[in-house]
Amino acid sequence: MAAARAPPPSGGITLKCYYQSAWLLAAAVAASALAAAWSAGAYAQTPPATQPPATAAQQTSKVTQPLTTTTDGTYSAAGLYNLANAYARAGKPGMAVLNYERADLLAPNDGDVQANLTYVRQALHLPVQTQGPLDRIAHLASPGTVAWLGVLGILITGASLIAIKILPRYRALWIAATCAGLAPISFTVCNAIYWEPKTHDAVVIAASTTIRATPVPMGDSLQELPEAQTVTVLQGHDDFVLIRTPSGRSGWVARADLADVVPATSVR
Amino acid sequence: MKRLGRYWSHVVASSAACMVLALSARADGSLTYQTLLPPKIVMGESTYLKITSLDSELQNIKIPEVPGLTFELIGHSRQMEINGGVASESSSLIVRVTPQIAGIFKIPAPSPSSNPVILEVLTDRNAGNPPLALNGQGPRTPTPPEPKPGNAAGIHFVADGAAFVQLKMPKRAVYVGESVPVDIEVGVRPGVVTSLNGLPSVKGGDFTLNNLSKQPERREEILDGKPFLKFIWHSVLAAVKPGDFTLTVDTPLTVKINTRPSEDSAFANLLGGPFLQNFYSGIKPTEITITSQPSELHVLPLPTSGRPADFSGAVGTFKVSSDVSASHMPAGDPVTLRMHVSGAGNFDRVDSQMLERNDQWKTYPPKSTFSSSDLIGYKGEKTFEQPLIAAQSGDQTIPALSFSYFDPETKRYERAQTTPIKVTIDAARAEGSLEAAAATPGARLANRAAELPRPDHAPTPAAETLVPLYLQPRYLAIPAALALLFAAGMFARGRAPRSAVPKATQRALNVLSDLVRSGDAAAFYIAARELLLESFSRLWHLPVEEITAVELDARLGPDAADISRLFALADEAKYSGRGAANADLAPWLQLVRRHLLGVSP
Repeated sequence: MAAARAPPPSGGITLKCYYQSAWLLAAAVAASALAAAWSAGAYAQTPPATQPPATAAQQTSKVTQPLTTTTDGTYSAAGLYNLANAYARAGKPGMAVLNYERADLLAPNDGDVQANLTYVRQALHLPVQTQGPLDRIAHLASPGTVAWLGVLGILITGASLIAIKILPRYRALWIAATCAGLAPISFTVCNAIYWEPKTHDAVVIAASTTIRATPVPMGDSLQELPEAQTVTVLQGHDDFVLIRTPSGRSGWVARADLADVVPATSVR
Repeated sequence: MKRLGRYWSHVVASSAACMVLALSARADGSLTYQTLLPPKIVMGESTYLKITSLDSELQNIKIPEVPGLTFELIGHSRQMEINGGVASESSSLIVRVTPQIAGIFKIPAPSPSSNPVILEVLTDRNAGNPPLALNGQGPRTPTPPEPKPGNAAGIHFVADGAAFVQLKMPKRAVYVGESVPVDIEVGVRPGVVTSLNGLPSVKGGDFTLNNLSKQPERREEILDGKPFLKFIWHSVLAAVKPGDFTLTVDTPLTVKINTRPSEDSAFANLLGGPFLQNFYSGIKPTEITITSQPSELHVLPLPTSGRPADFSGAVGTFKVSSDVSASHMPAGDPVTLRMHVSGAGNFDRVDSQMLERNDQWKTYPPKSTFSSSDLIGYKGEKTFEQPLIAAQSGDQTIPALSFSYFDPETKRYERAQTTPIKVTIDAARAEGSLEAAAATPGARLANRAAELPRPDHAPTPAAETLVPLYLQPRYLAIPAALALLFAAGMFARGRAPRSAVPKATQRALNVLSDLVRSGDAAAFYIAARELLLESFSRLWHLPVEEITAVELDARLGPDAADISRLFALADEAKYSGRGAANADLAPWLQLVRRHLLGVSP
């Protein structure tokens, strides 16, 4: 019977595609794991290092420069929050708001920071920014969580796009997975766009400061800024910085009267 | 005849002088000029006044009238001059001026923008100053002679006496950095030297020369009995390093030079007429650079002993004083402290840090302005202004300011000091506004901060930076690497060989597979045969009817028997309407698949 001479089954192409995609996924996961391990050393999980609020409060009368970091040069959300509370109790509104803003950058999902910051601003009769839906979304998770969510989204999206090529029979499934991956990526990007301008903010730490039309001490005075007012720094010139207030007014302010929410020495 | 030749030579010379003056005066906006040659004559002689207009509007020019002088129009001329490829036209009136009495006469200007000229008439060649002077607007009003006779002693003439350049320095020994006022004088014979082609430059060492770009001072002088136009640049020379230097000044200019041999010139003189003489004389404008006689300069280093720590390099003679913008002011208001450094020297090196920040005064960086009292910036006053804000209220004292410099006269470092200034800060406002203002928000906060809505937190892990993770370059490398990896994967997948199976063939094979699964052998055989026949027909370019068993044997080789067998089964199924029961169709499907996907002619 001729059937005995029939050719052997040939399913090699499909198997080869599976092996290829598996290798790619494995490489991607390995690379991300390596990068995560490398980056983790720079961001989180250093030993807790905070300063007791009482000590900070005692120091408030002596500090001339903003107390920015803990003793080992790291930032802790809880430490900054406690420090801000101590400054508030000591009657140093500028330093209090500065440290609340910093704590908010590190832990935007910490409701206590927002609550105390709002309370201090109200006590100082400063304008309190009401939170809209976008603000609430941006405060849902910490930047670290959002960042890794974005990486996960990239992994899902990339794997799905490759899977569409390899297994087109389940195309609809892969497209759904791609969309599912794009969602966290979009969330991360929007979060970054929301928080990036806040890294250029500064807080008035002097008793009051004058907005001037020109970056010289004798420049025409435009407006007085109260202590603890948060402003956006646009550029610098010698001992002055160009700022924009939340109400949209711009002018030059003595650099010494402000403290950056993200200090220049903070490594990016 | 001889007098006529002299007249024409004067006319030529006055024309050239007119060109030099015209070019230099064009920038001033003046378009009409007059020249008088010779400016000094004796009784019985005449001189010639040439009134030149660059805008060719001589009809508005009136012949001047001066008591004691007779003016006689003897002709007019028109010239075309090409400078730098640009043609300019000028018209001239030539007026003979004959004195009736001796004296100094001022011939008024032909237009408001031009200058009057002076005629000196002597009683005889050996006479001294004339006994009286007459003026065009008012007779018998003495006026200074112009041009005045200059002192030609020590002047080194070059270019056959047509020009000279000299450097005049008040001293021969200076210190490094010391500013020395110098004059650079360039004298040219109008008519012989036609243009200056650049600014003078000092050669012979490392020096800086300031303010040469400014317009030079111009004078007309008679040197060795010849009229000279003298340009004087006032400048400041400063030595950069110590040593003995020999300075010279170079000046490029264009001079008319006779290129003919002397015998030809003598022949030209025999021609008699000025026009033919000029035509044959071979005088051509030539660009040359004249150099002054060398001047020795000894540059001394500044002494190192006794040099003050705040010495900024200022060398000269200076005085300092200070004042404030207000001696009584509210707390928090800035006051401007001013320090005035006046005198003579290198003001570009005069510097001061003013008042240092201290417990009593919050200081800001000073700024300085310089106002010169001469043309060269050698003498003047430099003012430093520094804003200050008093840290405390009440009577305050601004400390004395000091300024160190090196005095080349006393040959030692000097320290000038101002006197302390007393100012009063309005204490009432200080307490009422600033301090209270500073205390109010803090006190208000301190009063309410005990009721902070949320308590302190327990310690949490710390981060190295406040910058959110997704804004850090180190993090951004991760998604970038992942995106690259996936892009590479997509690219690799895109380059993998795509299935060469046409979709129609794939669909037919799927149908056969379904028939195998359903066990419909008759339909399978018939469909397989039709599929193979269509494939062979397409492949071998034969009609289906011509694909016979012989053709299959010839083209398929060992598989021909299997294919023939399949075709026979298909015929049997077609004619009988049924296939073999329980037939194993899988090998047949493999056979068809192999021939459809991998068959080769």
